[in-house]
Amino acid sequence: MTSTLSVAAPAGPGQSPGPGGRRPFGKSLLARVRPWMLLTPALLVLAVLLLWPLVRVALFSLQDYGLREIVSGEPNWIGLGNYVEIFTSEQLWAVVLPNTVAFAVLSVAFTVMFGTAVAVLLASLGRVWRTVVSSAIMAAWAMPAVTGTYVWVWIFDADRGVFNHVLQSLGLQDAPVNWFTDRWSFYAIVLLNVVHHGFPFVAITVLAGLLGVPKELLEAAEIDGAGAWRRFFSVVVPQLKQIFAVVIILSTIWDFKVFAQVYLMPGGAGSNREVLNLGVWSYTESFGQNRYGFGSAIAVLLTLLLLGITVAYVRTILKEEEL
Amino acid sequence: MSRPSTMARAGKGVAVALLLVFTLFPAYWMLVSAFDGKAGRGSSFVPAEPTVEHFEFVLTDGGFDVFLRNSLLVALATVLVSSLLALLASVAVARFRFRLRTQVLMLVLVVQMVPLEALVIPLFVQVRNLDLLGTLTGLVVVYVALALPFGIWMLRGFVAAVPVELEEAAYLDGATWGRMFRSILLPLVAPGLVATSIFGFITAWNEFVFAMTLLGGETQNYTVAIGLRSFFGQHSNDWGAIMAASTIITVPVMIFFILVQRRLASGLTAGAVKG
Repeated sequence: MTSTLSVAAPAGPGQSPGPGGRRPFGKSLLARVRPWMLLTPALLVLAVLLLWPLVRVALFSLQDYGLREIVSGEPNWIGLGNYVEIFTSEQLWAVVLPNTVAFAVLSVAFTVMFGTAVAVLLASLGRVWRTVVSSAIMAAWAMPAVTGTYVWVWIFDADRGVFNHVLQSLGLQDAPVNWFTDRWSFYAIVLLNVVHHGFPFVAITVLAGLLGVPKELLEAAEIDGAGAWRRFFSVVVPQLKQIFAVVIILSTIWDFKVFAQVYLMPGGAGSNREVLNLGVWSYTESFGQNRYGFGSAIAVLLTLLLLGITVAYVRTILKEEEL
Repeated sequence: MSRPSTMARAGKGVAVALLLVFTLFPAYWMLVSAFDGKAGRGSSFVPAEPTVEHFEFVLTDGGFDVFLRNSLLVALATVLVSSLLALLASVAVARFRFRLRTQVLMLVLVVQMVPLEALVIPLFVQVRNLDLLGTLTGLVVVYVALALPFGIWMLRGFVAAVPVELEEAAYLDGATWGRMFRSILLPLVAPGLVATSIFGFITAWNEFVFAMTLLGGETQNYTVAIGLRSFFGQHSNDWGAIMAASTIITVPVMIFFILVQRRLASGLTAGAVKG
């Protein structure tokens, strides 16, 4: 569902005349409750299925919540025990946090740089080629995460993967290598997968921005003697600051919570402890070990992390426009 | 501006070619393996033994016919319910100004950022308490919630783009609010509704974590995203079948995506133009 909300419409409810009154003839009671009648079903669903679970996950995180508690429904409070265990665990500092944060930083950097480069390329193409290339990009974007991940796993498969096959026939390696056991090569593949799936959004969004930069500005800069690089970084980038902010923050949110792309890789579902990230750790502790309380605490930490980024996102949007 | 030199043109050509290869290779490789009778036994870049037997196997003995039906049911139910709720809510936030309006919008925006990993534990418990584990109904309920925030956010742009003057004209002609909604607003936001529906469909079609968690061992209720896992063996994987099944999953999404893409872009910016 991800993708395109970002460029979000600064839709203008400001169109309606005057504060409040849609109709010039005063406001009946019906008119006043109507928005709430329209909103109630959606808000109910959001409250029961998104907000209440969020409260509950926080409550679970303060309990030793296992299978027995699920069945009996009896609470089993242990205070901040789960959090203490997380923060004192070797696993968090040596594996999970580096995997999560370093991966997010790298993949955001690569996605945004590559996406921007592609956008610049697209902007310089003629009509026909731009359509061809952007359709190809759309196809990469549309690939579901699940099937996309399986295709990458297949490409890098140890025994019969095409990657090993090509390396061997080029004489670069003697025997097939299992790329999924090593933490670095494992995440290199995840990175490739995530960048491949994520750059189209950046490219298309930045392209929209690029096409909106006034030609006069660029021509003026050229007359003043600015080279192509200078023009890009001193004229175009400042113009697109807003777009870049949105693209970077959204990519950050998505890349912090990569789940399927890791979980579906060989060893990614918990059997290889070296490659856990926050999301997968939370999931495997909960549903693998039946330690739902501990898993909830990890999930709460991940949520808080994302919340911080979301606040930044909302601020950036709000600065420019009224919701 | 000066005409680009030959060098620059050639460089650009190479860049485009490399980009196309990188972008399309996974999809291409998926298709090649799906149609290759020798997939996984010696790799060549075109099908060595062109065949559709993987597709036949997947759709019959592989059980994918059932998974496809389940996914369709779930996705359609999700689309119907979430689009209806999203339409009503988006009219409220785009057309009315009321107290807490900004807060409601913030809420819609923020809940989209919640990681599924945080929701999966409490929702598993909730669905379990409702005795809906392993059923498609439980899955639909969750997917409606997942598709709703984005649907509201998107439809709001489409609704806001309908000129208020049209509504006012309807009122002047004596229409009630309900009449105006049916005869003016609904037809005009129909394209947006299509776009939103397609996105809801894709959400439900692609979703993996909840399907895996809530359906558990109920193989006959599996959706396509987790049905794929049945082709992974203990020791060897049937890659030809996996890629054929992946193709079946991916192609409708790609078609929908390209269909909806333009609509989407116009919907999200439509409100902006009105300013």
